[in-house]
Amino acid sequence: MNKLSTETPAQSAKPTIFFDGVSSRRRQVTLTLGDALEIAEEGGGPVVWPYADIRRADSPAGILRLACASAPPLARLEIRDALLASNVTARCMRLDEHQTSRRGVAKIVGWSMAAAVSIVCVVLFGVPLAADRLAPLVPKPIERRIGDASEVQVKTIFGRNLCEDAAGKAAFIKLVNRLRDAAGLDDDSMTAGVLPTPVPNAFALPGGKVFVLKGLLDKAESPDELAGILAHELGHLKHYDNMRGLIYNGGTSFLIGLLFGDVTGSSAVIFASRSVVEASYSREAETAADTFAIEIMHALGRSPKPAAELMFRITGKEGGGLTSILSSHPLTEDRLARMTKEDRPPSGPPLLTNQEWTALKSICGSGKI
Amino acid sequence: MNDMQWTPIGSEPLPPPLPPTRVDFTGNRTEFRKLVTKGAMLELVTFGFYRFWLVTDVRRHLWANTAIDGDAAEYTGRAKELLVGFLFALAILVPIYLAYFLVGIEFERWQGFASTPLFISFYAFGQFAIFRARRYRLTRTVWRGVRFWMDGSGWAYSFRAMLWGLLVFLTLGLALPWREASLERYKMRHTHYGDLRGEFAGDGWTFFKRGWWLWLLSPIALVIFPLAPFFYAEFKAREWRWWLDGIRIGGVSLSSELPHNAFYGLYWKVIGWWTLLSAIFGAYIGGATMLVVALSGLSVEQAFGPGNAAKSIPMLVMMVVGYLALALALNIVMRVYLQRDLWAKVLETVDVHNIAAAADVRGSAELASALGEGFADGLDVAGF
Repeated sequence: MNKLSTETPAQSAKPTIFFDGVSSRRRQVTLTLGDALEIAEEGGGPVVWPYADIRRADSPAGILRLACASAPPLARLEIRDALLASNVTARCMRLDEHQTSRRGVAKIVGWSMAAAVSIVCVVLFGVPLAADRLAPLVPKPIERRIGDASEVQVKTIFGRNLCEDAAGKAAFIKLVNRLRDAAGLDDDSMTAGVLPTPVPNAFALPGGKVFVLKGLLDKAESPDELAGILAHELGHLKHYDNMRGLIYNGGTSFLIGLLFGDVTGSSAVIFASRSVVEASYSREAETAADTFAIEIMHALGRSPKPAAELMFRITGKEGGGLTSILSSHPLTEDRLARMTKEDRPPSGPPLLTNQEWTALKSICGSGKI
Repeated sequence: MNDMQWTPIGSEPLPPPLPPTRVDFTGNRTEFRKLVTKGAMLELVTFGFYRFWLVTDVRRHLWANTAIDGDAAEYTGRAKELLVGFLFALAILVPIYLAYFLVGIEFERWQGFASTPLFISFYAFGQFAIFRARRYRLTRTVWRGVRFWMDGSGWAYSFRAMLWGLLVFLTLGLALPWREASLERYKMRHTHYGDLRGEFAGDGWTFFKRGWWLWLLSPIALVIFPLAPFFYAEFKAREWRWWLDGIRIGGVSLSSELPHNAFYGLYWKVIGWWTLLSAIFGAYIGGATMLVVALSGLSVEQAFGPGNAAKSIPMLVMMVVGYLALALALNIVMRVYLQRDLWAKVLETVDVHNIAAAADVRGSAELASALGEGFADGLDVAGF
């Protein structure tokens, strides 16, 4: 920096312009570098800026633009002469005090890291804990409402009406009731039905609604196969998995979205990390539901293995690699292996008679859909 | 004191119309590129939190290097305001999201997927955010020691935007020029520079006449894909020019000679970079795959086949790293071409008429909060 210390009024070839921050009048001024910076317009009294209050403002290259902490906030002095500018800056010791320094940037980075770590910890530990604790506390009416809403959606996708064949229905209710009693679920908290669609699947909705899709029924070869799957779904109900999942998914989506904000193109990262985190959580829930199904089937004196065989028939061998990190269920072959280990010769009576099983198979009418 | 012949004083009778003044952009491109590169990297290590500082730095650079009648503007907004605005917006948006969820359930109970139209409420909220964010930016824009400011209601604006949006939807886009004219009129009439009030002189019909054939031809772009950037560039250039021609503040008016093909180069450069970067990314992924295969000594089917979940983790990490680098590079390209270069390109065509009318304007108005910017950020409708 230039250390010239002239006390004479510094005059320059290029004009010095002053805006007083009250009006947009462009005032040509002369500067006097005394104890403080005196800004004098021809014919007017000088404006005095103490050096300690002077700050640099944004300006294009070649212009030094100054503001003053004790003047109106928008008052600006523009010095275009390089020599005069360096004379003035040499006197203003706190010129760049308000700018973001390297330390400031380091601070931003540090705090962001801390925020990120805390969000990650909340996603990994806090949200699952909150979901586990809160899910049983969700009032039944609210759960049922959410269930009603998803039931309407499900029926929009898979067909409006449940299968209503009388004999088949009686068999289905018998099967469901036996499982429900073994599972120890409340009487009123559960409804079940078969939906006429070729998709082979079954699911439990909030509020104790279990749906079996006709496709699954078609593929099932014995009551035990179907019972194991139903027991698995009852496990989800018993563990409040729907509400837990809802709280968990809502919480993680929100937090991970918050974490990445709008870094351009980060939505793929958000999606990927969400999938990984949520899939692992849901895999845990599925494994727990499998455990529950094994217990129920044992309590009824039946083997859990046929259900896994049914699953394996439907999915076939699932891959490994990337898909297993991202998939929401444990691999079917792993589940089959587990249930095979738990295989025991039947010690209880069959869950349905042959007659009832035949009736159940044709619950949606005998024809194909 | 009035011997400065280049400073007309407001109290004097106005001189005969002077030749229009120009708007100069003096920003250094290299400096800007360095700024956004550093910003993008910091954005990455801060998980995006640095965006408030980056956006502020970009605006400061663009504003400070834009000189009207020889005097550069200044952006006085600060990143901390944006951060606080974002946090406040978050605090307001969270209960709204929850309410949205609960109302959605009631709708779904009544009819499957009936809650889809509720999305519209977020669109309305987004329009509100756009208006309020504009207010924040304007009140941080200072020229000659006087700030711009805005009054008007964000909700009134949002209501208009919704109605016009519906009309545009029903007319398959034909009503778009009138929508823009109406919304711009609302925004500009509530825009002030000190004690001067803004106005928008553009009308929908003029815009329509300049661009109707693009509307007719747009289905062709869906079939012949490479035409789409040309059409979009053509549309944007016509839109900018029409918009600039309509701007009035007090007695000051703008006009622009922006050529219709002004943006062709910009968009194609972005597409070129995008293609190049994607190709590099593809090559990187391919290379990484081969590396994993070579190091693990397995065949491709084995390495990515069943039972090798653990081995695919390094691959996953490499993919994520590559993806982040790609996002970072694209981020820089977008900011350099679509913010800085576009800004410079537009400004060099602008003429300012009767700038003398703004020679002695008295400053007024309060600062607006950054809450609108926060909403815009939270709802992903943020602009410049």
